[in-house]
Amino acid sequence: MKSTAAAIGLGIALLAAATVPARAQVLEIATDQSPVGLDPQVATSFATQLVTSTIYEGLTAIDADLRVVPALASSWTVSDDGRTYRFQLRSGATFHNGRPLTPADVVASIARVRDPKTGSPYASRFTSITAVEPDGDRAVRVTLAQPSAPFLAQLAALAIIPPESVAELARHPVGTGAFRFHDWVPDTYIALERNPAYWDQGHPLLAGLKFDIVPEAATRQLGLQSGTYRMVPSLDSATAAALQGQSRVKVLSTQDLAYSLIGLNAAKPPFDKAAVREAVNLAVDRGEIVDAAYFGKAVPAGPLSPALRDWALPVSAFDCYRTDPSKARKLLQGAGLQLPVKVTLNVLGSLQQVVDVAQVVQAQMNKAGFEVTLKVQEQGKFIQDWRGGNFEAFASLNSGGPDPDDYFGRTFATGGATNVFKYSDPALDKLLSDARVSQNPGERKRLYDQAQRILACDGPVVHLAYGTLFTAVRADVQGYVPNPTRSLRGLRDVSTGP
Amino acid sequence: VLAAVFRRLGELVVVCTGVSILTFLMIRLIPGDAVQIMLGANAEVTPQQIAAMRAHLGLDQSLFVQYALWVGRALHGELGTSVWTGRPVLEEILPRVGVTAELTVLALLFAAILAIPLGCLMATARRRWSDYTIRLVSIVGITTPSFWFGIMLLYAVSVAAPDAQMLGWVSFADDPVGNLQRVILPVTALALPVLASLARVVRASMVEVMRQDYIRTARAKGLPERDVIIVHALRNALLPFLTSFGIMAGYLFGGSVVVEQVFALPGLGRLMVGAIAERNYPLVQASILLATLTFVVVNAAVDLLYMAVDPRVGRA
Repeated sequence: MKSTAAAIGLGIALLAAATVPARAQVLEIATDQSPVGLDPQVATSFATQLVTSTIYEGLTAIDADLRVVPALASSWTVSDDGRTYRFQLRSGATFHNGRPLTPADVVASIARVRDPKTGSPYASRFTSITAVEPDGDRAVRVTLAQPSAPFLAQLAALAIIPPESVAELARHPVGTGAFRFHDWVPDTYIALERNPAYWDQGHPLLAGLKFDIVPEAATRQLGLQSGTYRMVPSLDSATAAALQGQSRVKVLSTQDLAYSLIGLNAAKPPFDKAAVREAVNLAVDRGEIVDAAYFGKAVPAGPLSPALRDWALPVSAFDCYRTDPSKARKLLQGAGLQLPVKVTLNVLGSLQQVVDVAQVVQAQMNKAGFEVTLKVQEQGKFIQDWRGGNFEAFASLNSGGPDPDDYFGRTFATGGATNVFKYSDPALDKLLSDARVSQNPGERKRLYDQAQRILACDGPVVHLAYGTLFTAVRADVQGYVPNPTRSLRGLRDVSTGP
Repeated sequence: VLAAVFRRLGELVVVCTGVSILTFLMIRLIPGDAVQIMLGANAEVTPQQIAAMRAHLGLDQSLFVQYALWVGRALHGELGTSVWTGRPVLEEILPRVGVTAELTVLALLFAAILAIPLGCLMATARRRWSDYTIRLVSIVGITTPSFWFGIMLLYAVSVAAPDAQMLGWVSFADDPVGNLQRVILPVTALALPVLASLARVVRASMVEVMRQDYIRTARAKGLPERDVIIVHALRNALLPFLTSFGIMAGYLFGGSVVVEQVFALPGLGRLMVGAIAERNYPLVQASILLATLTFVVVNAAVDLLYMAVDPRVGRA
């Protein structure tokens, strides 16, 4: 009897030893939100992108330094007039269903994003494409109506999908990336396994990924400390501070593209007057906001993130960024307004970071001739008012992009898709459209410098601070470099073990 | 007895109708509707698309018509489809019921099993230090919110046993040991406030019963104190306990909403919180209806049990 039990015990032990590979492990990742769907062309929230960035690839990718690097396109050439791109497809790239990638898949993927029926939020980025066609059996040619400098960066977000799987993509993703879908239990986990046929031989190094959905920040932190989770992709400043210095955990950080802002309605008094918008800039003290609301882990924000090293002007370039409450008051009086100027500030209540920032801003503005009432709103109501232009001013957090054109064009150009401020400046419109078609980096830089100067003081957005993106991993997780775009594509190079 | 059963059933219908009207109105009165939230910050959507989507979801009808349609379908057992995933809401709800049921039932058992002896102990040790200690602890227990206690438990365990795997969820069928290991903390967090208040109920009614004449008679007969308490006093003292037991089942459901959030468990509570945030009307209505139904049925069952324990109740 005893020996049978021992034999069984030994058997189990052997089985366990046999099923755990020597090196490759499944990386357990704790994330806060369950994605609504996993279709990379339709669902674009952070929660979805976190997962899909490991399953799908675009023709290009954005690396940790925000540079465009080859992905499914191994190389490309641009015609002299800047309107035609020829992408050489990566040899050996296959979909997770086993079918090799063909130029027709690229054509179909671009067509699907542009099709209004798909409802892709990326559609507007690709309106300038006039033709997409296969060029031989390993290349694709894309023609644009006019040259577009941000085009290669924008392509990184366009996941290449197999057209035969379109119907099931929301639930069962099929990509070409380093990891392939295994199973998904809503609100519990999404499991991915290593793609053994990945085109980059020898990658990925992990056996798989498991995204555990853990809504409570304290639970994610404790799970990481106890080793249940081996990675928490984004931490708030307070949790990062608590984890820093613990021996079994590494806290990695990078400049976040997301920034806190005050939006001003340029179509309604009092912010229809440029002087009043400038007064807000003079009223706020960005250094104090960084200290009080970000525990010092942020940098004061101009219109472009300092992570965009090639483009962003330093904040010292903007005169209205020198805090001066008395000058703000004079501007308000000069605009013919009775002091204090009463303002209601809608606050996105679902993010504590935003609420903290708004309270500091309220105190600062009240010292400069305003009388600010905070209206902390639930997310649904906030979005409704934001979309409808039903606000005087709002405090929020926006995700930025890797190229200035996308953000500026969408937000500040007359009639831009997210220009909810109804802001319109013909001079700025001209700068942005010139910059978009310019093929000369020096020229583009000069145009965007001018645009930033206009937007910093006169624009409808008071940029406040760019936070830090904190990622925590267990000490044995090696080779991970956090990406400011929050993409987890870098996990293909990660390994675990001593 | 039969009349009492029918009266209960009638009440059940009234309560469910009332709750369904309330949830229906409340979720719709929260500003921001499903269409707005689904489209989110993506502004590249035309007003026509918004209108079409609203019509598709039936949100363009008057509230009265919407409610009438929903009730009509619900009576046919058709509770609608989730706005987000397009799957029938029952398919979304059913896999979650097991998690919440396991938590609630275990917490209730845990609380009930400990509440009775603790309550008796408090009653018999009245005005001695053990009574005061337990009473103090029980007040702390009642006033401590489950989520705070849950987080504290997590911290404590992470210090005491940093390598213990106590987070997340594995089903009992897949891994019974792993399952129990992972429900210990949430069940404890959930049970503590219930245990504390049930123990106080037992204590109060035991104190009341111990003053009765028949207890003195029993003692006078020379019965050992243990028999006096267990055989004579406890049975009568259990009536108020049963009532609170039924109410606590409802309280536990509310508590599990929070505890599931803290311990990352895929239960009904988390499903509902998510559904409210997404304004997923059919899912919210169906899951609240289900919760109400359970609560009312449990209470009806408790009342019937009451009749079994105390024959006077049925006759009244």
